[in-house]
Amino acid sequence: MEILNFIRENFDQALFLTWEHIWIVFLSLFIAMITGIPTGIAITRNEALAKKVLNTANILMTIPSIAMFGIMLPVLAPMGWGLGKVPAVIALVLYSELPIIRNTYIAIKNVDPALVDAGRGLGLTRWRLLKEVEIPLAIPVILAGLRTAAVMNIGIGAIAAYIGAGGLGVFIQQGIARSYEAMIITGALGVSLLAIMVDSLMALLERGLTSQGLKIQGRQ
Amino acid sequence: MIEYKNVKKVYGDGETAVTAVNDVSFKIAQGEIVVFLGPSGCGKTTLLRMTNKLESISGGTISVGGRNIREIDPVRLRRSMGYVIQQIGLFPNKTIFDNIAMVPRVLKWDRARIKERVGKLMELVKLDPELYSSRYPVELSGGQQQRIGVARALAADPDILLMDEPFGAIDPINRDKIQDEFMRLQARLKKTIAFVSHDIHEAIKMADKIAIFRGGRLVQYDTPEVILTQPKNKFVSDFVGADRALKVLNLIRARDAMNKNPKNILRADTPCPEAMKFFSEKSRTSAIVIRDDKPIGYVTPRLVKFEEGPVSDVAEPYQVFVEDDEPLRDVLSSMLMDSMTTYPVVDENGSFKGSITYQNIQKKILELYEDDTD
Repeated sequence: MEILNFIRENFDQALFLTWEHIWIVFLSLFIAMITGIPTGIAITRNEALAKKVLNTANILMTIPSIAMFGIMLPVLAPMGWGLGKVPAVIALVLYSELPIIRNTYIAIKNVDPALVDAGRGLGLTRWRLLKEVEIPLAIPVILAGLRTAAVMNIGIGAIAAYIGAGGLGVFIQQGIARSYEAMIITGALGVSLLAIMVDSLMALLERGLTSQGLKIQGRQ
Repeated sequence: MIEYKNVKKVYGDGETAVTAVNDVSFKIAQGEIVVFLGPSGCGKTTLLRMTNKLESISGGTISVGGRNIREIDPVRLRRSMGYVIQQIGLFPNKTIFDNIAMVPRVLKWDRARIKERVGKLMELVKLDPELYSSRYPVELSGGQQQRIGVARALAADPDILLMDEPFGAIDPINRDKIQDEFMRLQARLKKTIAFVSHDIHEAIKMADKIAIFRGGRLVQYDTPEVILTQPKNKFVSDFVGADRALKVLNLIRARDAMNKNPKNILRADTPCPEAMKFFSEKSRTSAIVIRDDKPIGYVTPRLVKFEEGPVSDVAEPYQVFVEDDEPLRDVLSSMLMDSMTTYPVVDENGSFKGSITYQNIQKKILELYEDDTD
């Protein structure tokens, strides 16, 4: 009851923070996608490089988010970006790279070598083969990586409120500071609902973008 | 035409270098099927894959239509050749139509032309375009998939087809069928085909010439008949098998061994007493009864004895007719099963062409092996 009252009274702010949260998460996801997918594809041609890239991304992901924001503070402060949305987006991009690069790499690697051989033998260029065969076949796994990254980012995005990035984490952070339970729960519920919704949307997208032929194959 | 000249393929270097193809030279003539035959690891597949530059060439030259392929861009070279592999490799994310249309699309043909071409190819490989165009590979059986694999390879009408054990993964019954279909197709298309196989039966059936490899070297390059009857060394004779005489039977058609002017024939209206006279005078034990140029059965002295009417009334009908293009292996098999010693040979219209006996077959085989001792 108390929560509903809180939401009613602070509806505009709740809406704004939700919007802010979505914005931060999707901007970072977009940046991670346009850098991570090509990287994931590129490293399938170079085993040694693949190992290095995946290890680096792995290490980045093990850094706790609070520590990551802490590290970024002195690095970005000289440019005046120590606090706010910039370090938040950068951190989220770094966290998203691993699931995206790793899934892209694995998905492309897992394309049946016979298909690649047949495609090359027919005279497809490397690029054409990627576009017509390898990427369409890898899409489900690549999207699964994006989905993981998106859900994870929504959670980490809540912590970014501590460095002044805004978003639903603001309710949680201020609620804790003021021991205001309804405020904390509103923030927490918002973040959770957002994560669940994005997860379902990405699942739909995954289904929509998967070739009919692969779905039939999956059913058999 | 494809020409291999001192072709060499070495993997790795220094002490660990492995020579996969060693100084191989031969030519594949326009419109011929040459089967690359040998045990696994003999270099046959490597040589095939060098032909469309999926493998680099370590030494020597391969020329296609008189041009050294070193000078041709790999992508362009491959588009000028069809490529069919054992794993078929249809793209599972694309419909049958899109799979076949792949190369024409890359070559930027216009839509109408692609549609017409794909329809024609599907009919060529005996899959109804109406029914299968919009299906996905996974919805087809292995044999159907490989038919599409062949259609895809033929899409841009290349002069050359490279086939790497294309029918190897298909069950034996369908394999036989698809091989027959492919041979009928080839009779019309007259492509120049390099065909890798490890199956001697397939090689004998398909090949105009067989190239037998061992340890990267070309051991013998000849027609199937010569390979079977005059194997160059023990390796070849072992590889083709102890039953090579039986395999030769697959290659020879009834018309090549039959007696074209058999003496033991009787017209259907010959009266039985006259037939009896024929038997005793020529000391024959059976005769083929012919009516209007078609064999209707046979008579023996026992059947015509004491009969008065024409022989056609008492003739025993044949259970089996031998068509003139039937391989001797099948003829011999029928003889063994029916315990018949003479069969009439007919053409596709059922007209009488001659007769074939066990002696005819044996004589033909001996003829072939006599060359062996020369």
